[in-house]
Amino acid sequence: MTSIGTGYDLANSIFSPDGRNFQVEYAVKAVENGGTSIGIRCKDGVVLAVEKIVTSKLLKPGANKRIATVDRHLGVVYSGMIPDGRHFIDRARDEARSWRDTFKTPISTADLASRMGGYMQAYTLYQSVRPFGITAIVGGFDSTEEAPVDGEVGSGPACGAGGKVAGKTHGGPFLYMIEPSGLYWGYYGAATGKGRQAAKAELEKLDLGGPGGPTLTLEQAVKEAARIIYVAHDDSKDKEFELEMTWISGADGPTKGCIGRERLSVGEKALDEDEDEEEGKEEKMEE
Amino acid sequence: MDRLKKGEVNMAVTFKDGVILGADSRTTTGAYIANRVTDKLTQVHDTIWCCRSGSAADTQAVADIVKYQLELFAMMNGKPPTTQTAGAIFQEICYSNKDRLSAGLIIAGWDERHGGQVYSIPLGGSLHKQPYSIGGSGSTYIYGYCDANWREGMEEAEAVSFVKEALKEAIKWDGSSGGVIRMVVLTAKGADRHLYLPDTDYKVRHQ
Amino acid sequence: MDHRPQAWGRPRDDVYGAYDASYLQSGGPKTATQSPIVTGTSVIAIKFKDGVVMAADNLASYGSLARFTDVKRLRPFLSTSVVGFGGDVSDMQFLTRHLNELAIDEAYEHESSPTSSSEDDPNAPPAGQLNAANLHKYLSKLMYRRRNDFDPLWNQILVAGFDSASAPFLASVDLRGTTFTSPSLATGFGAMLAQPIMRRYAATEADAARLTREEAVKVVKECMKVLFYRDARSLDRYSIAVVTKDGVELSEDEQLERQSWAFAERIKGYGTQTV
Repeated sequence: MTSIGTGYDLANSIFSPDGRNFQVEYAVKAVENGGTSIGIRCKDGVVLAVEKIVTSKLLKPGANKRIATVDRHLGVVYSGMIPDGRHFIDRARDEARSWRDTFKTPISTADLASRMGGYMQAYTLYQSVRPFGITAIVGGFDSTEEAPVDGEVGSGPACGAGGKVAGKTHGGPFLYMIEPSGLYWGYYGAATGKGRQAAKAELEKLDLGGPGGPTLTLEQAVKEAARIIYVAHDDSKDKEFELEMTWISGADGPTKGCIGRERLSVGEKALDEDEDEEEGKEEKMEE
Repeated sequence: MDRLKKGEVNMAVTFKDGVILGADSRTTTGAYIANRVTDKLTQVHDTIWCCRSGSAADTQAVADIVKYQLELFAMMNGKPPTTQTAGAIFQEICYSNKDRLSAGLIIAGWDERHGGQVYSIPLGGSLHKQPYSIGGSGSTYIYGYCDANWREGMEEAEAVSFVKEALKEAIKWDGSSGGVIRMVVLTAKGADRHLYLPDTDYKVRHQ
Repeated sequence: MDHRPQAWGRPRDDVYGAYDASYLQSGGPKTATQSPIVTGTSVIAIKFKDGVVMAADNLASYGSLARFTDVKRLRPFLSTSVVGFGGDVSDMQFLTRHLNELAIDEAYEHESSPTSSSEDDPNAPPAGQLNAANLHKYLSKLMYRRRNDFDPLWNQILVAGFDSASAPFLASVDLRGTTFTSPSLATGFGAMLAQPIMRRYAATEADAARLTREEAVKVVKECMKVLFYRDARSLDRYSIAVVTKDGVELSEDEQLERQSWAFAERIKGYGTQTV
């Protein structure tokens, strides 16, 4: 990589002769050095988890959360440069808020991913900016119920609205990953950061994308996500880390359609007591 | 001030397969009938329509803005707007300009997720979800009729007849209501217009 | 011929005489102050030893027309407080949405702060989360600001929940930003008809601290009945909320029970008539 830039890597708005934007590729390098984040889309929800590398013993355990709430039903986790991630989240919250102000209903996960993808792409176009040094995983649960207008009063007929198209379902769990180029796809399971290869290998073993939809339940996915973060940490065993994770279900599940309602943050010491920790989580899910 | 006032009676009702809008056709300036064949049922998206009452100028302007916004929504998001979306946009305009507008609106729409729905936005700009809604000055004459005869989940023919009979009462007792009866039926099949004329005693469907 | 754009479309002065521009002014200053159109009537609430009970009927009137009979006027906030709205329904919806956004902002603040104060005291409210007292202060500033813009939000609001000391909290704010607090509160007609009844049971904070939940609910239901008898803009269907440390219990489809009308049988004529 050292010699291939040859001047074409000095600015964002310049392509190399073979059609590459080196600044974007360098941004990907920044992501590859960050702690692993993963997302799992399962049958009845989405799980986000991150390997939060603890850089100093002087930092309070459990403080400085890395998974952020964007709206009631939306969460974001990212790998890479943390200040860039913070700005990404600020923007995501603004997008979610402005959608609410205009349409008086929550933004869908797909619409948020689209807007944030567009936002990140814009940072690959101009001389004056550099791309985001993060890859973000956006997880959300779009309501499967009928969506009212925020603040509406009154109700329709007690027998329910007539003329609905039968057999169609709406909403559900969604997972997107947005890269520094602005590229985004919807995923069954997503991983980014240092341990992404190991994490992806583990994710591929799970039943996430079968023809009838995933069979993995939220409860299983929470355990798998925790396990995968530990597997992915294997490469950098010398560093201490905290496992931080959150999960979201539909309105009828444990989180009642709200992200961040249940979350978990365990320190490195839990590493050796894997079994105990698993049980602790189960209890948490049942509350 | 005798501005063009309109929509002296209109209504929208949910039924088994969707929703029906209905209105008379009289527009008045004081006691003078400025238009006796007005169409007060306005399309703002494929299967989202509204009944306008109050100032003709105000309600047309509001409907035009919402129609534009909904078209934009459909293009930007690659999916049709829901009745809720329309209601939200209508309300924002009516609420934030409440001191300048004289607009009473009923929004009725069908979409595949929510079926037929009715929202009402009266003068102050509040938004009310309702099983059925009546509006305009003539509606005060038919509160009793509608409350007594309304049933949930009617068949299409029953619902059409309910709307027609209610509007006939309003036309009969309210001087500001009159002319023909127009209806639009919104279902999975799309929008279907009905027209009934006074000289055939509103018996024959002309459209 | 006057070709100035200002004269376009105007009757010609040489034919019709000078135009009387006073017709253009409808007179008076520009006003942004509105008046309520679709309105809800009283909200009433009373403190008891473990919390607060609040009630409001489900009617939104359009003048004297009982136009919307399924309008819920009590809104929970963060499942720790309840806000009750009297007055304009469109402004209520504006405030509801505003509070909704405030609650989402709370979730942002909440997660960035380290694990709550619960480490020290398991019963303490979550760290940093807005309680009813904070919420009431916020609403009073908002209402007062809007009245100073001469664009008031036409509501009378009761806020119930707990204060920072975890004691039951009840306060009101109106369209002018005026605030009150008291062991029992009522807006609109309720201030005249329900408040005297509630004061019989909770005249002081000490009285309220002795009141049980059952007693408080009973008093509120009795007051709703009196309001239905005497407030011409009221309805017999209502919502009732009980706020305790365990959260908010909200029932939005209550029906007035055990009304007293049978004595009408003994009323004959208006004085001396006996048949």
